[in-house]
Amino acid sequence: VIQSVGRAARILKALGSESARLGVTELAERLGLAKATVYGLLRTLEAHQLVQQDLETGKYRLGPALLQLGNAFLDHHELRARSLLWADALAGRAGEAVHVGVLYGPDVLLVHHVFRPDNSVQILQVGASIPWHACALGKAVVAYLAPPARRELLAGPLPRLTGRTLTTRAALEAELERVIEGGVAVEDQEAIVGEAGVAAALFDIRGVVVGAIGVAGPVERLLPDGPAAEAVAAVKEAARGLSRELGAGRQAAPGAGA
Amino acid sequence: VDAACVRSWLAEVAGGLEEERDFLTQLDAAIGDADHGVNMHRGFTAVMRRVDALEAATPGQLLKTAGRTFVSTVGGAAGPLYGTAFLQAGEGLGDGAAFGPRRLLEALRASLEGVQRIGAAGEGDKTMVDALAPALAAYELELRTGGSLETAVRAAREAAADGARATVPMQARKGRASYLGPRSVGHQDPGATSTALMFAALERAVLADRSQRFAAGARPRGSRP
Repeated sequence: VIQSVGRAARILKALGSESARLGVTELAERLGLAKATVYGLLRTLEAHQLVQQDLETGKYRLGPALLQLGNAFLDHHELRARSLLWADALAGRAGEAVHVGVLYGPDVLLVHHVFRPDNSVQILQVGASIPWHACALGKAVVAYLAPPARRELLAGPLPRLTGRTLTTRAALEAELERVIEGGVAVEDQEAIVGEAGVAAALFDIRGVVVGAIGVAGPVERLLPDGPAAEAVAAVKEAARGLSRELGAGRQAAPGAGA
Repeated sequence: VDAACVRSWLAEVAGGLEEERDFLTQLDAAIGDADHGVNMHRGFTAVMRRVDALEAATPGQLLKTAGRTFVSTVGGAAGPLYGTAFLQAGEGLGDGAAFGPRRLLEALRASLEGVQRIGAAGEGDKTMVDALAPALAAYELELRTGGSLETAVRAAREAAADGARATVPMQARKGRASYLGPRSVGHQDPGATSTALMFAALERAVLADRSQRFAAGARPRGSRP
């Protein structure tokens, strides 16, 4: 491990977790480093536009180069690039927000988010991590993982996010069976009170699950009396189309084909 | 405390929400869907309509009606959470025509338990629990150390406001704001803020009730449930 690179990374993370700007002294205290060290790192990061100094206060914040890097990360993500059109179409058809996510450790990382098409103020959730067992996207993906990977995730930890989060291995195993049977995963206020989701898994040319696409919205609209048939059909169709675009054959996509 | 005081509490909450609607929405825009102010206001407008239509009702019935109305008119997280809070408080008050400070403590405790059962949030998660739990604790402490209803609701109001302010540096661990991870730091939680507003309304209602009783020459009501 290169110490200075590690320190620079910690500076960026510290600046990213604070809405206020931070001065050299505050950063040095927070990271337990000498002020001169922090100053040198900041100057170098600034030269690469990874941090920016406020001219009036002398304090630092994240720089514009990070936005370019973040966008580059998303652009190079093949699943995201290919999901753009399908996600827009799904949002339009279902009238709900659309999420596309991939499994990253025990969490689902949202790589794409289309706002609910109703002109309301919404907050961009790209980059969010949601524990897999609490969301439709995560359950859709894990249902089709190879048994060892699936077992490892089921072994936990399985934190409780709401009163409805499934937190036992037995309950989740049964839930994953239901996902395979029905071809979609349903989330009933398991991550956020009042919020529901319906998602289906995405497969690549090898037939391997690579992520999931789904709608998210108020529980009373998506699960009026069980999952709304229209939303389920729209999600399945989007997942099937997107999987095909990723190279999955009709047979290779067990969830989408059935 | 009798039904008239509960009615004036609900009216104070409705008024407070009307005034703070844009502020709550602004807070929510930073870490949520920018609908908290509008949702709460809509919910409480419906509550007032329903409660005003109830002619004779016990304090418990009033709060239960408020809870049910809230659940059915407000979506998102606020509907089920506040709805349950009021419903449980109503249950906790029982069927008496009036209640004392100890009964109110039980009702507040039932509220917190209901909210935690649904939301699974603890203190420090950056939710309404960060205002509700300290308010309950302060209220209880004040009663235990010989305080009156007036001083207890004041302590609760102060603790709730401090609790809401203390959510600013927290990173959200529950609700939509938790999706933002570290970006949720530096913003006051809208739910904790609206909870603090309800305790401020409670204090106003209780103080107004007392001063009316004194003005009318009546003895203040006994403090036993």
